[in-house]
Amino acid sequence: MTDLIRTSDLTHRYGDVVALDRLDLSIPAGTIGLVGANGAGKTTLIRVLMGMLTPTTGAASVLGHDVASHLVEVRSRVGYMPEGACLPAAQTAADFVAFAAELAGIPAGDARKRSSEILYLVGLHEERFRYLGDFSTGMLQRVKLAQSIVHDPELAFLDEPASGLDPEGREQMLHLITRLKDFGISVVFSSHILEDIERTCEWVVMLDGGRLVRSAPIGSIGHEDALTVEITGDPAGLAAWLTGHGAQVETAGSVLHVTGGDDPFILVRDGLAQTGVGLRRMGQRARTLEEAFIEDAKRRGEA
Amino acid sequence: MSDAVIFDRGYRGYEGPRKGRAGAFWAVVREGIRRELGLRRKAKSKVLPWLLITISLISMAVVVGLHWAVQRFGVEQLLADQLPSYGQYFDTASTISLLFIALAAPQLLIPDRREGVLSIYFSRPLRPIDYLGAKYTALGFLIFGFFLVPEVALHISFAALSPDGFFSYLGANLDILWKIVLVSFVFFVGYASVAFGISALMNRNGLASAVFLGVMIMLTPIVDAVVRLASFSGAKYVSLLALQDQPRIVRDWVFGISTGDYVATRSGLEPWMSLATIGVIFLVVSAAVWQRYRRAS
Repeated sequence: MTDLIRTSDLTHRYGDVVALDRLDLSIPAGTIGLVGANGAGKTTLIRVLMGMLTPTTGAASVLGHDVASHLVEVRSRVGYMPEGACLPAAQTAADFVAFAAELAGIPAGDARKRSSEILYLVGLHEERFRYLGDFSTGMLQRVKLAQSIVHDPELAFLDEPASGLDPEGREQMLHLITRLKDFGISVVFSSHILEDIERTCEWVVMLDGGRLVRSAPIGSIGHEDALTVEITGDPAGLAAWLTGHGAQVETAGSVLHVTGGDDPFILVRDGLAQTGVGLRRMGQRARTLEEAFIEDAKRRGEA
Repeated sequence: MSDAVIFDRGYRGYEGPRKGRAGAFWAVVREGIRRELGLRRKAKSKVLPWLLITISLISMAVVVGLHWAVQRFGVEQLLADQLPSYGQYFDTASTISLLFIALAAPQLLIPDRREGVLSIYFSRPLRPIDYLGAKYTALGFLIFGFFLVPEVALHISFAALSPDGFFSYLGANLDILWKIVLVSFVFFVGYASVAFGISALMNRNGLASAVFLGVMIMLTPIVDAVVRLASFSGAKYVSLLALQDQPRIVRDWVFGISTGDYVATRSGLEPWMSLATIGVIFLVVSAAVWQRYRRAS
């Protein structure tokens, strides 16, 4: 199956500043989260993949098309929701979204119909004949989303779609993004709010300082080969026994995080039996995306 | 009958035709024309363009009406030479179109940049050259309208008034049509390229309009003074910078008339130099504007 996005040795510099540093990516179709702190290179990566920026070195392909040599084909099949302001105050939502469809080559009559349908979908049907200059931030974000999918793209790049929204607006936006997959639209969704990515995406690409930290399914990041053991009483004896049998143990109060050894489950079972410590709960350790990101970034910093 | 209510109509994919780059180009042209005329926008956006269109139509009706009246009262030989004909009417049309371009060119380019809409344009199958070409085309449609509609109306009224008969007149004066089209094009290119160049550099519509009008109106007396006072060799070529005059000199050349005392003509420069100046300005300004938008894309 063709990758949704593939890059090899992709580098982009703004003068002396390296925005993207030798990225090698291979991403399948689905809902993809693009994570990183501000300045990590998320927007630059999206703009390079859209052909709006020419990479300094390396190559990128989107939906199986090389971006440099098949720019028109790529742009015909993708949608883009920019992070910043991009809507004309003097036009109505219906007119602008229809125009956005026409810009993708859809005939004027069909474009108006699609505009109406998509504005209904994003919850702006009643407001579609109002001027965009009179819209709230939340409504503008929805119009931005509408224009990015009005031409029925195979892939939509959404750059910080939830930024500037209140909790309710953010919730609605995330719900809409989650639904795009059901419509057959893959999504690359950039955000520095890891919780949003965790809730909506199947695959995550982590960037830090322009470098790739991780590109993997969300599920593989949440779990690792480690156990969390909560016991009753003093954990020192059990920790010492486990360490003595080759495990690495981190202790936090009555909770022990155990890694290493051939099979941590067997090791902890034996440790509990040998030391006579009471067990309250035990399970595979689940990391949040945030913990994974911080750990990976820390590891990279140390390296 | 069911009382069920549909709350979510879902999503339908699009299976119809996609016109690609050409479709995007013509979408920008249509949107540009709507923007120039204030269509599908608030009422205040419509006032100035439609005022200029109304003035243009009234001036055309007055000229055509005068020709009819003179013919009817039989004093055509006495007065007809003093009435504006094809060439002279370009003065009226060019003044109106100068104002229209001052209004429309900034409106076509500046809001897209200022409001960040370029990022939407260039996420579609549209290249900077398509975008700029479409904006030129949108302006061209209306400017040609300002020139061609009154000139063609004059042509038809002259044919209707002709003692030789309608079709005989049209047949005998076919060359008028290409002259009208050519001169209209020269006026459009001569004015619009300067207006686009200025609009590409500024972020406020009103300021860009004022600078454009200032450049077009004030350069002529300034250039005139420089040419009169300068003593360096080649000073006469400075007269080519009287930008408002150059299309008029070409118009006089094409129609074989003399309508004014232009600095370049007075300096002894050939009319083809005015045409070449317009071409060079168009190429240089277009290249500069394209570079600016290429970076923005």
